[in-house]
Amino acid sequence: MNRSLVVDVLFWCFAAGSVVTGFLVFRTDSMVRAAFWLLASFVGVGAILVLLAAEFLGVVLILMMAGEMLIMAVVMVMFMMNPAGLNPMFMVHQHRFAVAAGVVSFAGLSVVALTVDFPDQPVDPSVDATAELGFELLGDSMLVFQTAGVALLATMVGAIALASRNGRFGTADEGSHEPPLEIEELESP
Amino acid sequence: MTLEALLVVAAALFAVGLYGAISQQSFVMLMMGLELMINGALLALIALWALSTGGNPQGQMLAIVFMTVMAIEMALGFALITNVYRVRRADITEKLRKLKG
Amino acid sequence: MAPGVAVVSVAVAMAIGVYAVAVIDGIAGRLVAGAGRRGVGVVLDPPRTVVLLLMQRRHRTERADAQGWALAPALLGGLAATGLAVVPVDRGTAVADPGTGFVVFATAIAFVMIAVFLHGWSPNSLFPLIGAYRYGAQALSLQIPFLLAMLATALPAESLAVMDIVEAQGDVWNVVRQPLGLPIYLMVGVGVGFWGPLNLPDGADLVGGTSAEDAGTDRLAWEVARAAMLFAIAAMGAAVFLGGWWGPLLPGPVWMALKTLCLLVVMVASRHLLARVRIEPFVVACWAVFIPLALVNIFVSGALLL
Repeated sequence: MNRSLVVDVLFWCFAAGSVVTGFLVFRTDSMVRAAFWLLASFVGVGAILVLLAAEFLGVVLILMMAGEMLIMAVVMVMFMMNPAGLNPMFMVHQHRFAVAAGVVSFAGLSVVALTVDFPDQPVDPSVDATAELGFELLGDSMLVFQTAGVALLATMVGAIALASRNGRFGTADEGSHEPPLEIEELESP
Repeated sequence: MTLEALLVVAAALFAVGLYGAISQQSFVMLMMGLELMINGALLALIALWALSTGGNPQGQMLAIVFMTVMAIEMALGFALITNVYRVRRADITEKLRKLKG
Repeated sequence: MAPGVAVVSVAVAMAIGVYAVAVIDGIAGRLVAGAGRRGVGVVLDPPRTVVLLLMQRRHRTERADAQGWALAPALLGGLAATGLAVVPVDRGTAVADPGTGFVVFATAIAFVMIAVFLHGWSPNSLFPLIGAYRYGAQALSLQIPFLLAMLATALPAESLAVMDIVEAQGDVWNVVRQPLGLPIYLMVGVGVGFWGPLNLPDGADLVGGTSAEDAGTDRLAWEVARAAMLFAIAAMGAAVFLGGWWGPLLPGPVWMALKTLCLLVVMVASRHLLARVRIEPFVVACWAVFIPLALVNIFVSGALLL
């Protein structure tokens, strides 16, 4: 079988799959299902990256998203209303504006994609992209890599400080509740 | 699998994500929209890396930075959601009318 | 390798692995606890169980997510197949040997938590959902020590291809080079396969946890997929820690099978030898003990290579 034909068919399957599942994220009743649809969308994109010779990045994207989506599902069930999706759910605001923004951004980006003449320089199939990335990470771009690491460390510290229940100012639950909008009348003695 | 097709698919992912990020009320659904947008951007980046820049390793490096941004967005987003829920009992954007703690 | 041959060889390997898990479990149970049948009965028990489960009626719950319920065991089995496919049997013989085989296996392991969560969430029932959350906590804590313990084995090979990792163990196996690696890997493997002492999501205290509502073919598919996952973990451990096909006299694939069997016996027998662990101390141990140990393992093996 022709190899490029197989790649093309696979590409269109993954592309259609990732866009459709990405759309279903906002069309499903249950937040857990939404998380699984988003995961499916990421798996599709990861598979396209593998087809594009960015093998390592594609697989790592899928690896990363598995954990993220699980956390997402758990967070949703912890905090959000109607987590299990037993009732139909359609929680949106400014819907028309959102649809318009989506359509306009898609049209604009597509026009750019179709009209701009990008240079045609495909990646050399004989080069091991994973090894190249490794040398780049620990060679010329070491500083960028280190910065990303430090940023992640700062994120960890910040996230724990934000999410921790016991802070410097007492337990987080007892923090400042939003004051009521109406001014309560004082009880007359 | 042409560059144009890849970029249009990336644009579609980005647009769907934008629609979700603007329209959803729930914080977590909003973050899903953001994730989809980054997803589309990542796809466009790798498409250009693979088909237009001849596999320059710095393109992959940028993709790693993208993934770092994704991770940071998720971690801080969830931490903020947790905190906002504890302090304000808020789970949708409408309940946050002011940013002051 | 032709696609047909690849699919058939993975399926055959999985079938052998699942059968081996069932038989080892039966023998270990008889030897340790004195339970189960004697003699050849141990070998015939697994097919008997299969027939019984096939005849059993399936459960249905109210407003269950039928697709998710059916997908979960299929996903787990598919992940086991993916994991097995990247394990080399002999020099140059593997179903698939991508340059990032190591990352592919790690991804399969990471997706196990999606499969288990789906399996616990989809029946729309209380105990399965609690089991699913428990496994979320368990798996997220297990991931990092697992990745670190495995990553250390890629250092001497300077490659993420599993074939290269095995090839680099000609002089000395990784289990000798990195004595901390294999114990951590086995602990994590038992946890990922939610087996024995770490069977927290499907534990007896949750009336069966995520599989509380499973009966008949559902239960059969789930147990088979879980056993296949254990087998894939044992095979990968044999390849990256015990030197895969390396060994005197016997041909490579035989060595590989023997080593896989050794690890499988250790993992499966843990069910009858060790007490069940509670989730809270286990999560604490993962973050506070196993991650530092795995980091020490990586640093030491890296320093030795310099």
